[in-house]
Amino acid sequence: MTQTALAETRTAEQGMAAHARAWLDANLPDALREDRPSTRRNTVAELCDWEAKLHRAGLVGATWPKEYGGGGLGLRAHLDISREIGRTPMPESVNSIGKELAGPIIMAVGRPEQKAEYLPAILEMRDIWCQGFSEPNAGSDLAGLRTRAVQTADGWVVNGQKIWTSGASKSRRCLLLARTGPVEDRHRGLVLFALRTDTPGVDIREIQSIDGERSFCEVFLNNVVIPEEDMLGSPDEGWAAATRVLSIERATNRMHRAWRFENQLNHLVSACLSDPATRHLAESTYRRALAEVSVNIELLKGHVETLVGSLIDGQEIGPRGSLPKLFWSEAHQGFARLALEIVSQFPVEASDTLRVARKRMEDIYLKSRAETIYAGTTEIQLDIISKRILQLKRKA
Amino acid sequence: MTTDTELNPEDFVETARAVTTACAEAAGLPERMDLLAEAGLTGILAPEAVGGMDLPLGFAVPVLRAAGGGFLAAPLLECMLLARAFAGVDDALASAIVSGEMPVTVAWSGMLGGTSGVVGRAPLAEACARVLVLGADEGGVLVTPGEGAMVETESTLDLERPEARVRVTAASGPELSADAVARLRADALVLRAALILGAAEDCLSRAADYAQERVQFGRPLSANQSIQHHLARDCLAVETIRNNIHRSLSPECAVPAAAARATFVGAATLGARVAESAIQVHGGMGFTWEVPLHRHLRMIKALAAQGGAADLIEAVAADLLANAA
Ligand SMILES: Cc1cc2nc3c(=O)[nH]c(=O)nc-3n(C[C@H](O)[C@H](O)[C@H](O)COP(=O)(O)OP(=O)(O)OC[C@H]3O[C@@H](n4cnc5c(N)ncnc54)[C@H](O)[C@@H]3O)c2cc1C
Repeated sequence: MTQTALAETRTAEQGMAAHARAWLDANLPDALREDRPSTRRNTVAELCDWEAKLHRAGLVGATWPKEYGGGGLGLRAHLDISREIGRTPMPESVNSIGKELAGPIIMAVGRPEQKAEYLPAILEMRDIWCQGFSEPNAGSDLAGLRTRAVQTADGWVVNGQKIWTSGASKSRRCLLLARTGPVEDRHRGLVLFALRTDTPGVDIREIQSIDGERSFCEVFLNNVVIPEEDMLGSPDEGWAAATRVLSIERATNRMHRAWRFENQLNHLVSACLSDPATRHLAESTYRRALAEVSVNIELLKGHVETLVGSLIDGQEIGPRGSLPKLFWSEAHQGFARLALEIVSQFPVEASDTLRVARKRMEDIYLKSRAETIYAGTTEIQLDIISKRILQLKRKA
Repeated sequence: MTTDTELNPEDFVETARAVTTACAEAAGLPERMDLLAEAGLTGILAPEAVGGMDLPLGFAVPVLRAAGGGFLAAPLLECMLLARAFAGVDDALASAIVSGEMPVTVAWSGMLGGTSGVVGRAPLAEACARVLVLGADEGGVLVTPGEGAMVETESTLDLERPEARVRVTAASGPELSADAVARLRADALVLRAALILGAAEDCLSRAADYAQERVQFGRPLSANQSIQHHLARDCLAVETIRNNIHRSLSPECAVPAAAARATFVGAATLGARVAESAIQVHGGMGFTWEVPLHRHLRMIKALAAQGGAADLIEAVAADLLANAA
């Protein structure tokens, strides 16, 4: 980059926080606000429309290259935008797999024509992606996956089953992990595909989750033919490249989390203060517990901001990505438990303000149970830290 | 402030470690103060006019981290901050602090009513020449024991920097403004977190070493997942303290005061947890006087009280309620 181009990028980055704040304040529809009463669920079409608008405003894909519809900015800009997105009580993305997982992997291992086809479609919300990694017998032990891909003259023929595939029934593409050899090969011979979910032989069945939603699915793959051009990377290298990207993603995905968490805490406290019958909950009964949550949120910001700084300095993140994951998932579950205890004491005949907060906190409580399971369970994060960061001896 | 870009806070790590080790061998506080001053550590924050190095707060962090990890028995945090605070107020005094001739400390807890009262939690006050006591006007007076002030022995957890009480009958001495005291207290939060970080890192490293050496059931303790996970959580705690000290000092930090407060409160809680966990991992050995994990734990608990961790949580609560209202 030339000096002027660099300077322009820096100026654009510096303006991002203010731009994001002003834009979100002016454009978030009331119907999508998580702190407003609502009588119905948002449709996928509404959410796609909203997210496409976010992209047009430059608030999504800020760090992606301009040629693929991104903003061409640095990670600092993404952090600034994430803070504002977090502070705004808006729905989580329906395409975070596309934006935060598939996209970066495609950028790392995709061929130019794949990048041109897949990447803009993610940002413009034409393609929603899902992640087909976990299987009934390969959860924490992902390398035990059995879905087989066999190369033929017509392309790859894939057979097997995926499970817990979030959003599969809404997706057009699936980032599918399969193996080319026997199960005993473990990490070797794993291949990644950009599978179209409308391919014949793909059978998607929704699974109801504890929050009452149908957020994840089973995906059955029966003689599914995937054209060669939808393979990502080469059969043996795809996975290695993908895991490199994944360690960064684990550390940086949903960077807005700490600030959304703060928004949830502020919502809970302001709801308590809105009514003489509930003021004591925040002012005295749970005062200290709420302050401790607030301290945890600051500490989480410390993890996120320091990590972003390290990435900008070009440092390797590697297994250190497990640290913020472990911290936020447990801190947020702790908050959710407290929040539920507090809203459970709201009066029966509650105001709208109290009712909306109660509904939001109940939902957060149930959803938070998954936070220590997905993206590697707590036990797996602890294993990674003890094995790869502390490098503890495991045998005599 | 010096803009010598050649210097990096990490450059002080080696020196600080070596001096801390030398201090452990030294006979008493005067010798330790000489060693610290010779290495330039007492004056790291003070202006050059009083013999200091005029470096930003971030440079004191690796020094205090080494001090915390190495059981330094000197009021280094207090000397660093008081030398800077008194420069320009009383240059001769500031120079004497920097040169190590005058060890000084602070009574971190309580304040005088008028010119008398009892204040406490003054680390090493019995060995120091002067003690800063805080007044109701939020300013401070540097009193001299024996001259209108008496240092009284107090029961204390910390073995390296035993705390004492100061009974003041007529406070007199060089004074600090309320602003200077506020700055001193704010900076002390991050520096205490640095002391705690050093102690917690040492606890973790001792526990990890012990877990890999000690054999039970025919294999090292570290072969058991529950021990691995204990240590992994301690690693997260240490990294949380480290990252938050970094954040509190970063020019990119939007609200450094809130960050520093959370950093200290977090360090007090997490640091103590790491020390407790290290004791657990050591089994019966962890409960012995000889294994120095308890020294770290004692220091962390004393620092938590000196920094007023409980009051700070209350301040966080007050801010949270005010923002949400
Ligand atoms: C809401 C949600 C969304 C998800 N979305 C997706 C998705 O989009 N795509 C996808 O591919 N996957 C997804 N997953 C799957 C997720 O990655 C797995 O659930 C996770 O990896 C755990 O695997 P498992 O469910 O098979 O549990 P298991 O691996 O069977 O683990 C069960 C329990 O045993 C513990 N355990 C396992 N191994 C060990 C060990 N070695 N030591 C100690 N304890 C151990 C675990 O920590 C856990 O507590 C999602 C999961 C959830 C809950």
